[in-house]
Amino acid sequence: MARNYAIHKAAFYAGIILAWQLVAMAEVWPPSVFPSPYQVAEDLAFMVSDGSLAWGMAVSMWRLAAGLAIAVGGGIILGVLMARVEAVNQTVGSLVLGLQSIPSIAWVPLAILWYGLNDAGIIFVVAIGAIFAVTINTYTGVKNIDPHYVEAARNMGASGTKLVVSVLLPAAFPYMISGFKQGWAFAWRGVIGAELLFAYLGLGHLLYASRSLTDVSQIIAIMLAIMAIGLAVDGLLFKRLERGVMSRWGLG
Amino acid sequence: MAKLEARGIAKYFAHESHRLKALGGISLKVDSGDFVCLVGPSGCGKSTFLRIIAGLEVPDEGEVLFDGRAVSGTGPERIMVFQEGALFPWLRVRDNVEFGLRMAGLPKKERSDISARYLEMMQLTKFADSFTHQLSTGMKQRVAIARALAMDPDVLLMDEPFAALDDATRDLLLFETQLVWQKTKKTILFVTHNVAEAAVLGTKVAVFSNRPSVIKKEIKNDLPRPRDPEGASLKEFQQRIRAELRPGGGGA
Repeated sequence: MARNYAIHKAAFYAGIILAWQLVAMAEVWPPSVFPSPYQVAEDLAFMVSDGSLAWGMAVSMWRLAAGLAIAVGGGIILGVLMARVEAVNQTVGSLVLGLQSIPSIAWVPLAILWYGLNDAGIIFVVAIGAIFAVTINTYTGVKNIDPHYVEAARNMGASGTKLVVSVLLPAAFPYMISGFKQGWAFAWRGVIGAELLFAYLGLGHLLYASRSLTDVSQIIAIMLAIMAIGLAVDGLLFKRLERGVMSRWGLG
Repeated sequence: MAKLEARGIAKYFAHESHRLKALGGISLKVDSGDFVCLVGPSGCGKSTFLRIIAGLEVPDEGEVLFDGRAVSGTGPERIMVFQEGALFPWLRVRDNVEFGLRMAGLPKKERSDISARYLEMMQLTKFADSFTHQLSTGMKQRVAIARALAMDPDVLLMDEPFAALDDATRDLLLFETQLVWQKTKKTILFVTHNVAEAAVLGTKVAVFSNRPSVIKKEIKNDLPRPRDPEGASLKEFQQRIRAELRPGGGGA
């Protein structure tokens, strides 16, 4: 039986905020180090009203979208090639396994030297952080396709790009979604991390600026905004996409 | 001239350290409009033989001739219906049936005319917009047959298409397959291990021996259609097939 835990949830979060407020009111630490939830809410409201939060979000999301688009496009091509051409798998595939173990933030120094402190550098970090998750999941998906699908498709005249687009990609799509989801998670971490170090616009830069101003309350407000975006993309976009695909493919 | 001819088809499989001869030089002539049932013990290689005819596997010896010309690889004139249907779960029934037509680049209007015709023939019109996982196993095989017929192949290759069906559904599909064959005049090769199925369907039954398999006997069947699986003359015909299937039996 699926019980509805909405009340538990609401009580849990109310409890956290109440405890936070009480600790803040007790002034164990000065408010500049441990602000109250009220202060944080005030800062959040201010950043919403003056547009700085929206602007930061827009910049971060655009970099994320650009990087992720490159990662998805490149990852699909790499993954399909690895799955269908064993020589590519043995060569490029082994390199992919190595590269995917590098945290995306470790690409930042290279990105700064190669591209400079600009959008291109951050997008590079995002793309390279996400591409291998897409690659590996696409590879796994294509490898796991029921061989009868491919035989039937070939028998009906599908070959080359037509075979890839009409059969391999749709057949592998349920796996690829996991790749997109992982890719998005890496990309999101990558964009915030890179912006912190690039110190050039975006939510990561807002965090960096708040730290320079030793504004703890604003830091927490921005972190809440980052969390909210993460939850929204996971919950609204990917959950729906997954559910849609699972039911259409008859896997749910 | 035979529509389809297999000449001395042999196939070896690697088994531990040595090569195992699975098909021991099979020859078969199929005339246009023949309905040939290939019957044999499980594992005798009759499915492998069918896959070689389809061009999905390459024989180690021998050749397949279509209209007197040697063929290699798959072709739209020889379309396979797989045991599990191999329908594409991401496509609706109609789009599954139109798949080969789309690959051939037929315009939408023509595709939908053709798919409508075969959906109706297989009594699927009501299910045209369903996804295949919403259908029963019997309905799925109807879709698989409609999809193959939509390609308008000269030869239909059916690999135990009714093996997973319950008795009532199988009887119905056996009846309808006869009607479809009479209506479309297709040349059909039909693999089955079910003697009753072979007796009901075939104009000719080719009995396979155990491996390395050869065709032990070809038995013509001129009984009138539609045939009653429970009829006395058909029972007698089944006895003749069974006698051939017995190890060391037949040869008369």
